[in-house]
Amino acid sequence: MQMMKKIGRFLSSMQFAVILLVILAATCSAGSFIPQGQSYEWYAAQYSERTAALIRWLYLDDAFHSWWFVLISAFLCLNLLLCNLLRFPQLVRRCRREADPAQFFGGLAADGIADPGVFFAAMHFSGPKPAVTREGRERLFARRNLAGLWGAWTCHLGILLLIAGFSLGQLTKKEYTVYGVPGQTRQIGDTAFFLTIDDFTVGLREDDTVSQYTAEITVTEDPERSGRSEARRESAEISVNHPASLFGMKYYQNSTGWAAKVHITQNGQDLQDVVLCAGEYVPVENKPELVILLNAFYPDYVKDEGGMPKTASGQLRNPAYLYTVYYQGSVLGMNVLLQEEELTIDDYVVTFSEPQNYTLIQIKKDSFISLALAGGLLTMLGLFLAFYLLPAKACAEKAEDGSWRVTAEGSKGGAIFREQFLEAVRKAGGTAGVADRAEETEPTEKTGEAEETESTKKTVEAEVAESTKKTVRPK
Amino acid sequence: MNEQMLHIENTLFTVVMILYFAAMIFYFLFIAARKEGLARLATCLQAVGWVLHTCALVSRGIGAGRLPMTNQYEFATSFAWGICLVSLVFILRFSFPVLGAFASPVMFVIIGYAAMQSREVHELMPALRSNWLGFHVSTAIIAYGSFGVSFVLSVIFLLRDRMTGRGFLDRHIPDRGKLDIISYRSIALGLLFLTFTIVTGAIWAERAWGSYWSWDPKETWSLVTWIIYSVYLHLRIRKGTEGRAAAVFAVIGFICVLFTYIGVNTFLPGIHSYA
Repeated sequence: MQMMKKIGRFLSSMQFAVILLVILAATCSAGSFIPQGQSYEWYAAQYSERTAALIRWLYLDDAFHSWWFVLISAFLCLNLLLCNLLRFPQLVRRCRREADPAQFFGGLAADGIADPGVFFAAMHFSGPKPAVTREGRERLFARRNLAGLWGAWTCHLGILLLIAGFSLGQLTKKEYTVYGVPGQTRQIGDTAFFLTIDDFTVGLREDDTVSQYTAEITVTEDPERSGRSEARRESAEISVNHPASLFGMKYYQNSTGWAAKVHITQNGQDLQDVVLCAGEYVPVENKPELVILLNAFYPDYVKDEGGMPKTASGQLRNPAYLYTVYYQGSVLGMNVLLQEEELTIDDYVVTFSEPQNYTLIQIKKDSFISLALAGGLLTMLGLFLAFYLLPAKACAEKAEDGSWRVTAEGSKGGAIFREQFLEAVRKAGGTAGVADRAEETEPTEKTGEAEETESTKKTVEAEVAESTKKTVRPK
Repeated sequence: MNEQMLHIENTLFTVVMILYFAAMIFYFLFIAARKEGLARLATCLQAVGWVLHTCALVSRGIGAGRLPMTNQYEFATSFAWGICLVSLVFILRFSFPVLGAFASPVMFVIIGYAAMQSREVHELMPALRSNWLGFHVSTAIIAYGSFGVSFVLSVIFLLRDRMTGRGFLDRHIPDRGKLDIISYRSIALGLLFLTFTIVTGAIWAERAWGSYWSWDPKETWSLVTWIIYSVYLHLRIRKGTEGRAAAVFAVIGFICVLFTYIGVNTFLPGIHSYA
């Protein structure tokens, strides 16, 4: 049992969090340096056989999906979860205590304040309220930014949701790509939906640079596959940065390329007409062992210094097609064919024409994207609360000589809060300053990132007493 | 494209470089000659430089007809602008001119790096034509500027004991406790804005690329930077470290910032390769 408690304490500890974060940073950087998803042969050629073997053994070729990366992330989630669960009741108790004027203990103190209102205003406290201590003494009490105590907790919760949303999204998301030219209809993966590309335009500026890619699409549900009585249909226009949602899936204008019409004749008779995107191939209809592959398209064809084909611009000035002919799986020939030129293979003649842009559309369904977004927003909120809502409280008690004694405590801010206090005391005409935290302060729980350091706390008493003496002048 | 505005930007950029250089020299003279008037002059030069730098960025924005945040030159000059702004705020807020003596060389090196980049104005590719560009890059500028200042503060923190013991610097360099708090404030600002950068970038990436996180090198190194500064925050509240370990992590954090900005583009091209 004791052992279990020790393990539990370690798993929820800050030390464990720091260790995990350092390992995570190291693995992320390693994953960014080593190209991901390559073959063993590729790594061996790039580095060495031994390095390639090490990369594969450590799963560094797919670092961000490796079992150990998932394990580290899972431990981080566990650490955050345990930390937040353990701190929740502590924070609730602390909030209650902080909000209760009767439980004020004070950290910094000064005597001889003539007008406590000036002090509160200088400390940026609004509307101090009368309160009574447990001992029955009357005092003015003000507090601010209690929500700041929840900053680290909220940030941790946000990170937890972010990791959960991302991981669940990775496990459950559906992703497809469909490409084609206007007029073509393709099935979206194995779903009941078919995507028709109604139109696709590439917006060009005067200097030939692309301003936007825009596709008009229609998605139709096949009633036979979906089991519905009639086909449903939805249309949308999509462009880069402007995806559309149709039938619960999101459609993104992802990329583009060139396509061309391939016309095949046999002995002067039309045999086959097909549109090929660059990289696609077509077997000849009545001779399937003969295959035509469209490797690439050059809209403004020129040869480089080495005689290799390239394009001089994106304009259709001198269209040319790089093709490969396969026969029974072996390369029969590879060359560049200009527009209007014919390729003759025995009694077959092949021509390429009507070059046009095709569009590649990415289709995605991620049901946990909102969870990840909520996590990101909560993380931002948590950091804002932790860094900029600095909880503080102050009170003023009337002394027997009619002057006021003020005390203040800021759970964050350290030396700067101390300076603010001293300045407020000076403005309010304080006559002397003391720092009596050790005597009056109750031990508090640590609340996370934005706390002042232990070392700062230790030096507060001596320094405040000293600096107060230096800066506060008798009225 | 407005050529006249781009010409104005070019001239202003040169003036800004001269002003930042002059500010750096006067900050050094302030420490060497121990005359506080020189620090005030240096701060004034830095402030004037920042105002003109703002004008230069506005001119470039008008000249290019878009936000000047889309290539190495534009981001580098904005990065220097961010460091200048944050360091000015901290110098004035905490009456800490020595910070200027350490921040101005960093600022000058970064604006010098900007000067070495191509200043040609290119039209934006479709993926960059988004309202998210402004949010994403401007938050990165503030984040990087803050981290630059926190780096300088952490260096001062680590060197403080060697520099003090001489009356003049003792008066002008805050004690470790205050240095730690100022550095923490700077990192707090930086981390908050870096989180904004990552979240707005993720939202934008989801719309532009169909994936809000792709483990692209730029994304990954932003995450690494975020993690390093998170470690800083955790180490800072740990007993017994007296801020030294945290300060070391703040220095490592800024090295990560520089690598994210320059190193990733140089060594690890990805889908952010235009940035």
